[in-house]
Amino acid sequence: MLWIALYCPTLSLDWIERRFPAALIPAMAVTVRKGNQAYIQQANKAAQQWGVTAHQPLASALSLFPDLVVLEHDPNEEMKALQEAAYAALRFTPNIVMQCSGLIAEVSGSLKLFGGMKKLCRLLNRAVAAQGLQLCVGAAPTARGAWLLAQSAPPQTVINGAGTKFHSLLDFLPVSLLESAQAHLEVIRGIGCKTLADLRQLPRGGTARRFGTGLLMELDQAYGDSPDPQKWFEAPEYFQQKMELMTQVENAGTLLLPVQRMIEQMCGWLVSRYAAVLAFSLILHHEHSARQPYRSTPINIRLSEQSDDPDHLMILLHERLERTKLMAPVCGLELIADEITAGIEANLELFPTAQSEATSLSRFIEKLSSRLGPPAITSLQAVSDYRPECSQRFNASGIGGFSWRGTHRDRIPPELIRPAWLMERPLELKLQRQRPVYGSLLKLISGPERIEAGWWDDDAITRDYFIAENNLGQLLWIYCEHDPAGGNKKKDWYLQGLFG
Amino acid sequence: MSTLASPPSAPLSLSQIETRFKNRIWRGDASGSSADPVVSSGFDELDKALPGGGWPVHNLTELLLPAEGLGEIRLLGRPLGQLTGDGRNILLVGPPYIPYMHAWENLHIDSRRIVIARVYKPAERLWVLEQGIKSAAFGAVIGWLPESSLQTTRRLQVIARTAASLIFLFRPVSAQFESSAAPLRILLGPVTQHTLSVRLLKRRGAPAVLPIYIVLPQIKPFLGSTVSRPALAHC
Repeated sequence: MLWIALYCPTLSLDWIERRFPAALIPAMAVTVRKGNQAYIQQANKAAQQWGVTAHQPLASALSLFPDLVVLEHDPNEEMKALQEAAYAALRFTPNIVMQCSGLIAEVSGSLKLFGGMKKLCRLLNRAVAAQGLQLCVGAAPTARGAWLLAQSAPPQTVINGAGTKFHSLLDFLPVSLLESAQAHLEVIRGIGCKTLADLRQLPRGGTARRFGTGLLMELDQAYGDSPDPQKWFEAPEYFQQKMELMTQVENAGTLLLPVQRMIEQMCGWLVSRYAAVLAFSLILHHEHSARQPYRSTPINIRLSEQSDDPDHLMILLHERLERTKLMAPVCGLELIADEITAGIEANLELFPTAQSEATSLSRFIEKLSSRLGPPAITSLQAVSDYRPECSQRFNASGIGGFSWRGTHRDRIPPELIRPAWLMERPLELKLQRQRPVYGSLLKLISGPERIEAGWWDDDAITRDYFIAENNLGQLLWIYCEHDPAGGNKKKDWYLQGLFG
Repeated sequence: MSTLASPPSAPLSLSQIETRFKNRIWRGDASGSSADPVVSSGFDELDKALPGGGWPVHNLTELLLPAEGLGEIRLLGRPLGQLTGDGRNILLVGPPYIPYMHAWENLHIDSRRIVIARVYKPAERLWVLEQGIKSAAFGAVIGWLPESSLQTTRRLQVIARTAASLIFLFRPVSAQFESSAAPLRILLGPVTQHTLSVRLLKRRGAPAVLPIYIVLPQIKPFLGSTVSRPALAHC
């Protein structure tokens, strides 16, 4: 077993700060209540510059800086922030344990896929830190050992205890890190125990009698001498994450960072379920009031091919966010995975193949339709019908790119000449001495070819098609309606296509 | 005299110089060659005139066309058919009319591999062209650019250098007097019903003076002066 522990020393501040746009974070402090007095538990950098520090009574902190934003310690919100971080970490391993101020991940099964311990540790650290948490990282063969190492690490550093030096690293840790020693710290310090090594040298019977068996158990679990079963974090069946922002955001660009975090969470959740998303929606919530009628702006995105790639989803969302007009300031975000399906095996091949080309095609189609709207990109399917208007139809890009791929191709036999270009609808030609004109007087070159079809669906045509040429050198496909009753009536000519 | 000085060597002959600096000397009368791969146009006379012997990959090719309907698709039919036969896709950006797939099929172009972007605003056209050229999905990108500037062609050419597709831009004849960053510019014009005159306005290597006349395919059915057949009801 190999464990990476991510300890978040400033969690009580981080969960608030991550809800602010980075430029707008005010001087803040979190308080805890001891007796009937409130003390500062943690203060952020801006507040520290004013002299506000931990363990200060709230009153003295406010006298130092009256505009200080004070929040009460809120374990529920902290847990929620940790849960979101756990979603993002699910990308790297399915085995994650939640702690009160951090995560522990069991990674022995993921080492090969992510290229070894060092790389995995870096990736995991980056993914969780990107969720807006400050981390201290420890790695060790036992969960509790890793957790203790992480707690002892200076902010934003990694202590790698995986290997032979694990025990010697643990030996030097202070006793105060042990959870079950908190009640007896004075006594333990009084008998001269400073480090875990000192504590382990005491006779076990006496230690158990004095401090309870819990302390010995914790020590043994940290050193790997006794089993340490864990309760794994379980991802829910559905993905629906909501995030309230601390300020009203009017600029869609400012939303990108929180949206990116939510997308990362969704992708971690998808990976843990071996799934990929087909459709998802981002809902921008507005502050509803009598003067402001908009409650929310939904952005629904449908993919042409399932994906679990955060970068790709982010590109699509970015395009859409850019085009979305914010009716009112945004105060909350919600991301929902509407439709998921079985995931695809990652493409690990070295050279591009037909399949990777198909992937890039569906990505291209998605990118275009998310910016220009789905009707902008189409393909044409030939249908066996002799009427030019009915002989092909537009296929909008939908799920799975152009879904008709692989069907057999119908075509009009090559002896019949057809133009490469068709007019949107036939253009009535002007007449000059009863001869059609387009650019100049037209000279008929070949024809007529009678097309008489459509009696079966009330859209019957009877036309005589000719190929004509004008002075510009254009070859045109023109027709006149055949009217068996009309006899010598003046004929109308129409331009149907051009021979490209 | 210093003993280190090299003995005076006999002056090199012209052929020696040429072999020695093979890739660094360009003779003004030779048609240019380039290391970029090419795709045969399917017409021998045209292949001979094109630098490298075919339509260049990694580069823009500008085709200046007085009006649609001169046979411009038949001119490109062979390479496009080959590409779709190899399972690659073709992107049409802002075509002036609706492509009639039955006719394209009869040029052996697989209509299922054609993707049409129906965008008609200049900025959107350019964006789609850029995305199409950058994407690995297409073997050929064909764009219709009624209006464009030197900057846009230069931008597209820079992107095209990294792409592995054939890129054709159809532009109006009036563009021949504007400068363009495309290394190959061709003026198309009609001669008779199924012959196209192709004038290479710009190419790598010696300039081509005379136009080339290309007899387009699909000539056979034209011989029958009147084609009259009963309409076939499809069942």
